[in-house]
This record gives sequence, structure tokens and C-alpha cells, in this order.
Amino acid sequence: MNRLECLNALHELRDPGTVVVTTMGSASPWSGISNSDLDFPSVGSAMGHAADFAMGLALARPRRKIWVFNGDGSMLMSLGTLVTIAQTPAPNLTVFVLENGTFEVTGNQPIPGAGFISFVRIARGAGIESVHDLDSVSAVKDRLPALLRYPGPHFVRIPIEAGNEPAPILDCSLRIPAYRLRKTLEEPRAGEARSESGIL
Amino acid sequence: MSSRIFAIDTCEGNMRVFVSFEDLHLHQAVKQSVNVLVREFTGDESRSRERSERIVAVLIDLGITHVVGVPDNVTRLIFETLTADPRVAVVPVCREGEAWAIASGLWVGGCSPVVIIQNTGFLESGDALRGTATDMGIPLLVLMDYRGFKTLGKTDGREDSVARLFEPTMRAWEMPYEFLDEGNERAVLKGVFRNAVETQRPAAVILT
Repeated sequence: MNRLECLNALHELRDPGTVVVTTMGSASPWSGISNSDLDFPSVGSAMGHAADFAMGLALARPRRKIWVFNGDGSMLMSLGTLVTIAQTPAPNLTVFVLENGTFEVTGNQPIPGAGFISFVRIARGAGIESVHDLDSVSAVKDRLPALLRYPGPHFVRIPIEAGNEPAPILDCSLRIPAYRLRKTLEEPRAGEARSESGIL
Repeated sequence: MSSRIFAIDTCEGNMRVFVSFEDLHLHQAVKQSVNVLVREFTGDESRSRERSERIVAVLIDLGITHVVGVPDNVTRLIFETLTADPRVAVVPVCREGEAWAIASGLWVGGCSPVVIIQNTGFLESGDALRGTATDMGIPLLVLMDYRGFKTLGKTDGREDSVARLFEPTMRAWEMPYEFLDEGNERAVLKGVFRNAVETQRPAAVILT
């Protein structure tokens, strides 16, 4: 699947209130598609920790959908996170693994297990119940809305073509998007209760 | 004698096993077969539990919402006390690096987490700390057990290398810290938490 077609499809399906955490090969392309205060680029940060950062967000904000676009190399760097997610499940969390079999931003070196690893089986084995394999743009468009109606956490593996995405670079301190997102999340959304704890 | 607790530290792998005095015969058998050091565990369970309860009381006063981390022999009682308290959510992780990222996400989401790990986990998770809590400027209270503290300075080969490397690494990674002593839990925890908030960075309380 073409990466941009995949990300565009996800962009069309995204609820405007959904927080999207990106990293590595998805960060720069997504910033060209989306311009939301609810986007968080996990860039310049610790590789492999976008999914667990998103898990923290999801636990803190149970009434918001939290999506994370993880890479396969990034997922491998913290596979235990899948078990951690299953142990303390956040129903509003969806972990997408965009799998291209390479460490793309460092020059497309094959990831360990490229060609035989099954993230779907690993996620199921970790204890995540809602695990899906969407292998085409049409599958993303047709199946994702229905499966996200059920409580998560969800794990969605999407195969994409290897590309030549350079390492993303943030043009400011990571503190800036972190504090901006915290402030955005504190603001009430139109038509929504002012407090996510239920206190109006 | 029956309430005394012993620890077995193997030379390989640093495995620790705590057993009652009645099982001392097992100690001796293990000692003969795998050449381990048997030493009496200092402090008793009830004293440690009281201390853990004091720590948890302060954490709740500070408005802590989540505890993220990996328990060890010292902090397990804190985790047990917290798990039984409905005011705080305990988030166990597989590896310490996850704790920094999850705690950072919790704080960005508006919560007030604390991370509790052992110093070995601190050494393991340096880049995760740097790339999340430190670079994001998260005012994060951290509790760390100082494994090997009592071995510091030993010249007979029994100095725990993690103890030797721990504080120099804390300083190198710009993590401020203070030691927690018996009876000063409230002052130290509050002071370090205030420091974390004012400086917008993680700050640690060390348990020995």
C-alpha cells in the first residue's frame, strides 16, 4: 500500500477530536496532510516509545480517541508495550503499525524478522483482543470505521511500501508540542462536557 | 527468629530470594550448590510497611493520580499499598523505558503521575527518559530504589556495580535527587516534587 494513500485514508476517517501521535516514517508525511493541534510528532524522542506515550494519553483522556502511527522497527524496539497495553487496557487507544520491513529513515536496513514476523500474532499473543490486518486502502476505508465502534485497545497492522523517508526533524524543542497538546486537551470541546472527569 | 528474612544474592544474575528463617536449611543447601552469599535482610516487614504507608500518604496528598513502574524488593510494599488504594491507578510496565513514556503521556493528558523503579532500570532506560520526560519538560516525581547501596566501597569484589555507577549516571543525565531517610518522607517528597514542578523536569527521591 502506498504510504500517502494510507495516511490520507486515515485522515478522512479521523474524528476531529482524535489525538494522533506520529513517529519516524509517518511524522513528516502526516504533517503535510494534517494541521491539527491534536497532532503530536514523537520526533527527536526515544525511538520505540510513541505507542506507550499514546497509552499514557489514552489513560489520561478516556473520552478522546487516541491514535498512534507506529513503525514496525519502532514497535520492535518496545514489544513489551503491547503486553503493557493489554495489562492496563485503554478502550480509546488504537495502535497502528505501518509495516514496511525496514528501518526506513536510516536507509532501509531490514528490521529483524523482516519477511517472517507477524505483528498480528504477537499482538494477539500479548493479550490484545481487537487485532486487525488491513492490507489495502479499501480495507482501511471499509473496515476501520466499523471496528473502531467497539471498545479497544485496538491494534491495526497496515502493510505499506518501503520508501525513502528521511529522518524527521522537529523545528523546535519537544517541550513545545508537549505543552501545546496539554493546553489544547485542557480546553473544552464544543458540545462536550467541560471536564472529562464528568464534573461540569 | 522465625520472622527474620534473608536474601540470597547469587554472583550471577543478581537473583534475590527472600525466605523465612524456617527455610534456612534450604539456604544452606543452595549455598553449597551454587556458591551464594547468604545475608540477613536488614529491617523487618512491619517497619517497611509502615514506611511505605507514609510514602503513599504523601503521594496522595500531592495529588498523584497514577503510579507507573516496576516493583523491586524495596518498593513492592509501596506498590501493594497503592494497588489497594482506589485514589491512585497503578500501571505496571514490562520495562522501565515504558514508564517514562507512559508517565509523560499521562502528564500531557492532564494527570499527575509518579514513576517508581529500581536504579538498574534507570540505567537501562536512559534514552527513553531523555527522549520523553526530560525533553518534554515533564515535572515528574520519581522514586528509585538504590540497589547495592550497602555494598558501596567494598573492596572484596562484592561492591554492586550498579551502586557504583548509579549516582555518577544520575548526575551525568542531569537528574536532581535527594535521599529519603526514616521519618523525613513528607519533607523530602514534597520538596522534590516542588523542585520538579518549578524546574519542569523529572526529579528523584532515592530509597536506600
